[in-house]
Amino acid sequence: MIKETMTSKERVEAAINLERYDRVPVAPLMDVMFPSRYKGMTVAHGISHWKEGFQAIVDIFDEVGGWDAMILPGYSLALTPRVASGVTAALGSGDYRFPGQDPGVSEYSQPQYVERERLTVEDYDEIINLGWSGFAEKHRERFTFFSPDQIIAWTQRQTEHYTRERETWDARGIPSLCGAIVQSPLMFLSTKRSLTAFTMDLHRIPDKVEAAMDAMVDGFIEGAIEAAGLTGIPGVFLVLERGGGFYYPLRIFERFEFPYMKKMTEAFAAEGLLTVMHFDQDWTLNLPYLRELPRKMCVVELDSTTDIFKAKEILGDHMCIAGDVPASLSSIGTPEEMEAYCRKLIDIVGKDTGFILSSGCTVPADAKFENFKAMIDTAKSYLPAN
Amino acid sequence: MSKLADALANLDEDEVRRLVREKIDAGVDPMAIVVECRKGMDIVGERYKSKDYFLSELIISGEMFKEAMAVVEPMLKAGMQSEPISKMVLATAKGDIHNIGKDIVGTLLTAAGFEVHDLGIDVAPGIIVEKLVETGAPILGMSGLLTPSFESMKETVEAVEAAGLRGRVKVIVGGGIVTERVGKYVGADAFTNDASEGVDICRRFAKEAK
Repeated sequence: MIKETMTSKERVEAAINLERYDRVPVAPLMDVMFPSRYKGMTVAHGISHWKEGFQAIVDIFDEVGGWDAMILPGYSLALTPRVASGVTAALGSGDYRFPGQDPGVSEYSQPQYVERERLTVEDYDEIINLGWSGFAEKHRERFTFFSPDQIIAWTQRQTEHYTRERETWDARGIPSLCGAIVQSPLMFLSTKRSLTAFTMDLHRIPDKVEAAMDAMVDGFIEGAIEAAGLTGIPGVFLVLERGGGFYYPLRIFERFEFPYMKKMTEAFAAEGLLTVMHFDQDWTLNLPYLRELPRKMCVVELDSTTDIFKAKEILGDHMCIAGDVPASLSSIGTPEEMEAYCRKLIDIVGKDTGFILSSGCTVPADAKFENFKAMIDTAKSYLPAN
Repeated sequence: MSKLADALANLDEDEVRRLVREKIDAGVDPMAIVVECRKGMDIVGERYKSKDYFLSELIISGEMFKEAMAVVEPMLKAGMQSEPISKMVLATAKGDIHNIGKDIVGTLLTAAGFEVHDLGIDVAPGIIVEKLVETGAPILGMSGLLTPSFESMKETVEAVEAAGLRGRVKVIVGGGIVTERVGKYVGADAFTNDASEGVDICRRFAKEAK
């Protein structure tokens, strides 16, 4: 093991601030699925029993001798105590099929998202007129059968859990990076209209889509800032997938995604909040634009489909990079392959500073423990080659 | 290039609708309209390969093709359909209920002239084998977005083998997190996470099967 001269908190802060660290910090994007399975529970049980599920994460942390940070502190949601906030969350979670409850999803599987047109093309006009919060409150009954009181009680419970998760890590000297979770307007609309319908909207009624995004973005920003305040973690997890070069040409990114990413990250930075940009899919084409986002106030978190080495070249002096162990390596690879992959990342992306070794997206439910441990151990034992 | 193929390739929805209607009204052979639309889809595929187009243009053109076919196909008399390039079976593997990628590829394969037997999501190995036997399809395409689908794909390939079909059935797997490692692990003949490349691979498989 490397002789450590920094605490986990100092090490992670050094990575984010692009200052030298004693070794590369390691922080898997961890939810309840893999720990539940490893601890002998079904994923269904872990998800529906918060105490046991969260304890499984803590147990696995202790068993591997710890890691350096939690990108998200656990698996609760950080929500503001408002009907619109609960409806927005319900609109996402309502389309999940849960392990052990729904057809096709075994009790050992992770929840699976079924994408369908929850918002209609007619909804754009009302979103433009009412903003997202006004729209969500007005149409609550379309998206959830819970009453306003029940929704608010649920949002408060989620935030309480979230805060207790954060406190557990605080007690272990481990920083949690994100106190709020939000999507870009494009990501939100794409998943709630469905990829195909939303792509046709961009083709047929681009001005209307843009106007709806303009009407939504301030509410998204305010909600995230408020949630981060409630959970006490100065960071926002910004979920991005659909706006990148895997799906769309740059002219779409430049008009419908990047201006909102910029507005959001700048607003968060102005409040002293770090933005961890969770990029699913390949964003290699879009990387140069990210230099326009607040320096040292963003982390670009990659899932192995974006070229992480290119990201280092382009963004290395501008923002920290996290990632990008492929899910398939965790589930069907070997510890030796894992070690070799992580060493290469540490050598090239992790040299000197600006890198957090992490899973590409969440650690999959069927990850092998020995592979997961190999990732953690490699960060703690391997120094970059000169 | 015909005006119709050109309009489809340029993603001009109104013009495609107008031209299809105009040709039908003028008594043009419906099969000729299908051929022109396919030509347009081929051009979209070429523009995608040259990186002028993205997945979004594949989706838009696929929707336009489907809309045109919904008008033209009822007018095709029995026996007028052209011989498909090949039959193929398509499915999202057991334990995975994601359909977006599979559906996009299915649309592109149909537009390219394949007879696609789409079994949907969460499809057990036995059902896939049954469909391969029933149709005689020489190609199996399986999709998955989650890591548990790897085991299902592997089991399916083993079931195809056990049924004695592996010699005549080529297997391609795809999905957001499918990699070369996954392709090898499940025993597939090819992998991709690029819809257009998937169509090209299936074209190659179809040629090899003849």
